Amino acid sequence: MRRLLLPFFFCGLVIIIFLNACNEETIKYQSYYSSGSALYKTHCSNCHMDDGEGLEALIPPLTDTTFLKNNREKLACFIVYGLKDTIVINGKTYDGVMPAETHLAPIEIAKLLTYITNTFGNNQGIYELSEVEKNLRKCD
Amino acid sequence: MKFLKYITILSISTLLFSCSQNGKRLPFLGEMQTIDRMEGGKLVIDTFYQTIPNFSFVNQDSVVINNDSLKNSIYIADFFFTSCPSICPIMSKNMLSVYKKYKRNNEVRFLSHTIDPKHDTIPVLKKYANKLGVEGTQWSFLLGNRDTVYNIARHGYMNYAQENADIPGGVEHSGYFILVDKDRRIRGAYDGTDKQQVENLTNDIDILLNEYKSVKK
Ligand code: HEC
Repeated sequence: MRRLLLPFFFCGLVIIIFLNACNEETIKYQSYYSSGSALYKTHCSNCHMDDGEGLEALIPPLTDTTFLKNNREKLACFIVYGLKDTIVINGKTYDGVMPAETHLAPIEIAKLLTYITNTFGNNQGIYELSEVEKNLRKCD
Repeated sequence: MKFLKYITILSISTLLFSCSQNGKRLPFLGEMQTIDRMEGGKLVIDTFYQTIPNFSFVNQDSVVINNDSLKNSIYIADFFFTSCPSICPIMSKNMLSVYKKYKRNNEVRFLSHTIDPKHDTIPVLKKYANKLGVEGTQWSFLLGNRDTVYNIARHGYMNYAQENADIPGGVEHSGYFILVDKDRRIRGAYDGTDKQQVENLTNDIDILLNEYKSVKK
């Protein structure tokens, strides 16, 4: 009986740690998402609009999940250094100018990106701070 | 016979009177001036409302737009610039919704004045209009001398346009849409960033168009 108790106790501990970690992840995601939503309203929605639909051929929508996935590592650079390129979003060409947003800390960018990559039809999970920091070192 | 004539006059005037009573009219905004004068020994008071001063600008197709080009139209005026990062995209989006509603009705026109003429040259304005999906001259994006535009914004449209280095884009301005009637009088001002007020604008456009329908001059 005593020999069984230790493994049983150990297993229980593992389960508790696992559940707890899982919970912490969702809490973190939710907090990123809701702060991200507020940041989006202040810094992005005047151009990309509340619904992420952008403006005609002037400002691209944020609804192109494939584009956001393929360019995941560049998104932080787009925000910090701006974007002046010719891009194709949902099959339409855009050649506008997005100004650099230099007032945002990496943690705020992580929250913003968590928000946009999980709204407007996107569902790509949390965007970690470490990811932002790593990607920002690679901007060209 | 004389009796019949009186009846006719009476009924016509009742008709006219009831027309102006039923049809809702828009107020006149801006400064009002009254001038007293004598006519046939009687005091007559004439009321003058603020009007938009003379102007002449060019639009995205290098067409000259002045008061004359607008004499048979009511119009909505605003002030913007193409590289504006703050409120302009929302204003353009809201103006676009109004434009779409009255598209091809030349009795309703749109004037968007750039307050950044250095950057917003005619080709830049043309590109902006194209990308917004605007064709023809119903909606004109106007280029003019900077001081002239600022002056007409401030004194003509009671608007406000002033450079401000503190805010992104460097130029701050009010986001108002101003409704002007065929006689150059200001009949409404609406926050162009506010969906509800923009809805009020479309209601008021209908009321104003109706004024011209019922009151044949
Ligand atoms: C002044 C208007 C403006 C603001 C403010 C703005 N953007 Fe943009 N954004 C643009 C334009 C224009 C483009 C397209 C640039 C190009 O064509 O190279 C763009 C492109 C993008 C793209 C890539 C294309 C796409 O649609 O997926 C992303 C992602 C993006 N913006 C996110 C943001 C985020 C997040 C913010 C807030 C921090 C923001 N933008 C603020 C105008 C703006």
